[in-house]
Amino acid sequence: MRFMVIVKATGEYGSPSPEELAEMGRYNEKLIEAGVMKGGEGLLPPSKGALVRFSKAGPTVVDGPFSETKELIGGFWILDVKSKEECLEWVKQIPFGEGEVEVRQIAEVEDFTRDEVSAPALDQEKAWRERGDWDQQIG
Amino acid sequence: MRFMVIVHATRDTEAGVMPGEELLEAMGKYNAELVKAGVMLDGAGLQPSSKGARVHFSGDRTRVVDGPFTETKELIAGYSVLQCNSREEAIEWVRRMPNPTGEEGIVEIRQLYELDDFGPSEAIETHFRGQDHAAAR
Repeated sequence: MRFMVIVKATGEYGSPSPEELAEMGRYNEKLIEAGVMKGGEGLLPPSKGALVRFSKAGPTVVDGPFSETKELIGGFWILDVKSKEECLEWVKQIPFGEGEVEVRQIAEVEDFTRDEVSAPALDQEKAWRERGDWDQQIG
Repeated sequence: MRFMVIVHATRDTEAGVMPGEELLEAMGKYNAELVKAGVMLDGAGLQPSSKGARVHFSGDRTRVVDGPFTETKELIAGYSVLQCNSREEAIEWVRRMPNPTGEEGIVEIRQLYELDDFGPSEAIETHFRGQDHAAAR
């Protein structure tokens, strides 16, 4: 099963230092060696982003930073493990001295109720994934 | 440049309610457009926060709190990673997204760090090599 491990950030934050990145690099190497790391990314501060708000009237765009959002995402990992407990064991080893990390299970195609309504969408999704990552089937 | 498109949770996503026929069809068409345009790199939906947990870090100690979490609008229901030429292009793609909830919904667009965003250093090289390695597996 796959989990998204979400690193929480507050407000406008800066880039990680070379030391922090080196330490994180060592942690990532452990994840890779164990074969659990399926992806990981860092997000630029919210000032480089935007929010799109949907309502019945249509979408409206608000540029970052976002004053109303208290909890922001600083980065994430995608881990492939046997259980939530195994995932938490890996998360506890992240080299953080403070802060909060959220662990969320990813919904796989098999997790959805299959009926005549959902079947075509689920089949399409599965086909995209089976051809490798989404991007590989385009090239 | 790559952007992470984050769909924020609603009461329905947290309750594990499946999208209806109309939305499923619209989402399928929209995703097909993203794939065809070579914009879609990755994407996934998340199970409700009741199946998740949070880990608090304090010095050498960690504390685990099981879900669910109450601040629905700040939670994530799903995400995709888009390859675009500019932030504006990413915004245009998101504006065309079928309204994920049918009513009020918030979608966040955030740029991802690339190797070029950092100065040259051994640590950076190792860090990104590790990411490439993981992606290749």
